[in-house]
Amino acid sequence: MGDLRKSSMRFFSDQNLCYADILPPSEIRARIEVAVLNFLRILASPTPAISDLPLINRRSSNCRTSKGLLAQVSCVFLSHSFCTRSLMRANTAKAFIRVWKVMEMCFGVLVQEKRVTQRELFYKLLCDSPDYFTSQLLVNRTIQDVVALLQCSRYSLGIMASSRGLVAGRLLLQEPNQEVVDCSECGLSGHAISGDLNRLETLILNTDARYIIVVEKHAIFQRLAEDRVFNQIPSILITAKGYPDIATRFLLHRLARAFPDLPILALVDWNPAGLAILCTFKFGSIGMGLEAYRYACNVKWLGLRGDDLEMIPEQSLVPLKPRDLQIAKSLMSSEVLQENYRRELEIMVQHGQRVEIEALYFHGYDYLGKYIAKKIVQANYI
Amino acid sequence: MEPITSDPCYSSWLEKSKSPSHSLFKEELVELYRRAGVASIFCSLPPKRVSPRAPMEIASANVICLQVSFCDLQEILPFSSSIGFCKHPLVSLATQRCRLSGEPCRLSVVVKCSLPSDPLLIRISISDTGVGSCLEEFQGLKFSRQSIGDEKWDGVLSVRTTGKCDNEVYHYQLNLKESASARRLTRLPSNPKNGVKFSGTEVILSMFESADALVAEINCFFQKNVAYELVVERGDAPGSQCEHVFLANESNPLSFSASNLECLKSGIEDYVLKHGYKKEHLKVGSGTAYCTEGHQNTGWMMDTVIAISEISEPISSCFRTSGAKSEVIYFKDFSPCSVSRSSMKALTSIDWRSFGLTLKSIANQGGYAFLDWEGLPPNTRIDIILHSYHKQAIMPSAKQETQLDRNLIKRAVKLALDDLKEKHAGVLLSAHALKIRSYAPDLAKTIAGLILSSNDSGFQGECFSLLGLQCQGVGGEIVEDCIKKKIISVIEMNDRKSHERSEDVAPFLFEDECLQELDFQEDEYEEGVGFVFLARLYMRFSQLDQLMLKPRILSMGVLESPAWLPTVYWQLEIEHGYSLS
Repeated sequence: MGDLRKSSMRFFSDQNLCYADILPPSEIRARIEVAVLNFLRILASPTPAISDLPLINRRSSNCRTSKGLLAQVSCVFLSHSFCTRSLMRANTAKAFIRVWKVMEMCFGVLVQEKRVTQRELFYKLLCDSPDYFTSQLLVNRTIQDVVALLQCSRYSLGIMASSRGLVAGRLLLQEPNQEVVDCSECGLSGHAISGDLNRLETLILNTDARYIIVVEKHAIFQRLAEDRVFNQIPSILITAKGYPDIATRFLLHRLARAFPDLPILALVDWNPAGLAILCTFKFGSIGMGLEAYRYACNVKWLGLRGDDLEMIPEQSLVPLKPRDLQIAKSLMSSEVLQENYRRELEIMVQHGQRVEIEALYFHGYDYLGKYIAKKIVQANYI
Repeated sequence: MEPITSDPCYSSWLEKSKSPSHSLFKEELVELYRRAGVASIFCSLPPKRVSPRAPMEIASANVICLQVSFCDLQEILPFSSSIGFCKHPLVSLATQRCRLSGEPCRLSVVVKCSLPSDPLLIRISISDTGVGSCLEEFQGLKFSRQSIGDEKWDGVLSVRTTGKCDNEVYHYQLNLKESASARRLTRLPSNPKNGVKFSGTEVILSMFESADALVAEINCFFQKNVAYELVVERGDAPGSQCEHVFLANESNPLSFSASNLECLKSGIEDYVLKHGYKKEHLKVGSGTAYCTEGHQNTGWMMDTVIAISEISEPISSCFRTSGAKSEVIYFKDFSPCSVSRSSMKALTSIDWRSFGLTLKSIANQGGYAFLDWEGLPPNTRIDIILHSYHKQAIMPSAKQETQLDRNLIKRAVKLALDDLKEKHAGVLLSAHALKIRSYAPDLAKTIAGLILSSNDSGFQGECFSLLGLQCQGVGGEIVEDCIKKKIISVIEMNDRKSHERSEDVAPFLFEDECLQELDFQEDEYEEGVGFVFLARLYMRFSQLDQLMLKPRILSMGVLESPAWLPTVYWQLEIEHGYSLS
């Protein structure tokens, strides 16, 4: 029972949760085949019609939060609200066809038992149907549509995540029957996190760290890695170099489960975007709500925070951009945001200013390490 | 001079006119006219008349057929309108009488010079074999001094009429110039019928007018008579310069019981086909709208026929209009009629766009409405005919001139357009449907590609059988083509139905009974609210007999139970769905 309590228990009491399954290729192929058969069946029926595609709605209106009952993790998930892609409406007809085209492409990939990245998929689709796919963004969105239609993970579709993430510090990684990789010896660029979730899943992890530090920016990660901060404070450094990708989150989640006693601390810029990144690690995202909820971790906000501002020279304060305000607004409207975060956000918006972590260098290049150490020791994280 | 009706030849002719076969008809009629001194009619016709047969060719078993040369009565008859003498009450009354009889009838109007010595005095006779006249219809006629001068006509009508059950042919004289009603009607001695059963009426009037003037007007009339032919249906008239000859279509005679609408349709078909358009390129739609006041049918109705025809190469068209313009031919009570302003407004207010047509402009030229289309495919023409009439033949009077409901025209035209779409797939597709249809090839290609890239022959086999294709050796193009055809037919069908149903929801790919109604918004993403129980959704997938799914469904049930039950177990299951032990 104690074990159960220790493990981050989630109690999803509602059937409203919608999630994407991680399934083998044969299963996904089968789902696509069912889709085709149903389409043809309805097309060839006595009352023929062109069926609409029901997609789980990936909007904040369909977003629910679940608060872990016994433990600390809340996450964001999607419920059973559908939106449709229909051929019969002129402005969504193309989107409708795009979904089918991506399904066709993924089906082919799965039949050949291959894996492709989103980028590769984009180029294939661009050559095949230039009228329909004009940008990577369109491809990514359509992939999410297919995920929402078939309710399977992107990975199951044969799409590899190309990860941006890096990990460094006191962590030993070993793929089965491979050499052990010591992440403290990877130099200032750290160890690249694989995009292949399967491989990440099978990694054998070992650590003697006491903390996991999630870093927003690559430059800061490099600085910390170069200064070997992880030896001064036994820690694991991890970064997604910006907005978190699924692979980085996956690894973080694995670390969190494997080493549940390690607090996860986030080092982000003091601006709405930084907080948004933190929240994505913490709760998941709506856009990838069918999959991302699984990887929610109990991340705490180390810095920069409002009370750090006194250490920052005036000149480092930069006005907020309109985009920042938009992000702030959408964060505010999220019911999952806790009170202290909300307060911080309010101060940000009131000041109308933001600060980057680099501002701390005012006090010297090694100040950052000291800053972190001090905060950790004081348990000054929320 | 003997009136025609008393001629024994006339009665036998009347009898014969009711029989479908008319081999002797021609001779009899010639004889009749010769005896009445009207052989000159044929000579007075324009020499360019196309078919020498034309004037005598009488359609078989039709409602009315028009005899020759009653053309320029519009000029000389009192109270005629500027368009078509046929609006003349006398002819109109005769028409009504014929309709009332319910049998094939004959209406003839004969103009002849009364006296060879005085070519200016002409005699006009309008006779019909319809029901006998109740004289009230004549009593209702008003004489307008503006339309014809006092000196031209003395206002006297000589009327002979008899009903089927009457024993004699009654003879009256009506003086329309007489204001006092008592002195208007004079009864004259009747003629016995000697047991012969027939009915008919003849109205004769004489007036001063130049026969040459009449001849000069013939072409003008005949032009308009073209339109008349359509209503009157296989009537015959000598052609104008453009060879508008309507010969009885003996190969396809309409049965007597053909409705007015069918007559109209047949007429326009003949009309168009005779101008080089092929039958297979002709698409006709028709409809009838009823005028209602409150919830009651007033009895007024409007038949509409719309014909769309295409030719591969343009011919020197004798039509008044070229392809991009349509003339709206308008009839009222079986007579050509000028188009009223409210009708023009009605035509403008029709939603042509939902039928894929763009109306550039509408013009009224000489009483005819011309619709100018934008972007009509070349060598395509659209003909529209409207005919409003009362269900029962009623005597028209000034009071009963109903203002045609503007909506009646809209409704009637729309009915005909819908009928066209219904009968002919792919015609008059709205712009929306055309756009959607353009995506059909891509969708078909994608789905065909999906089917063919599978290495599961069972799946492929089932797809082929759903499409109605043979399993063996089916090429990609055939599959693609088959799917494309089906998709296009659905699009066209939906377009036809789009007027009737408002928000019809297409079935979902994964249909579930639990799915409640969805609201649609005009957006990239259309948000809907539906609650599908996940278990049921996955039942769909479990159709595939994937064993690994069943435990999942079971575990869904477990969700309900309190947390201390195998939550961890469940968690593992979700994340490692396929590696169950």
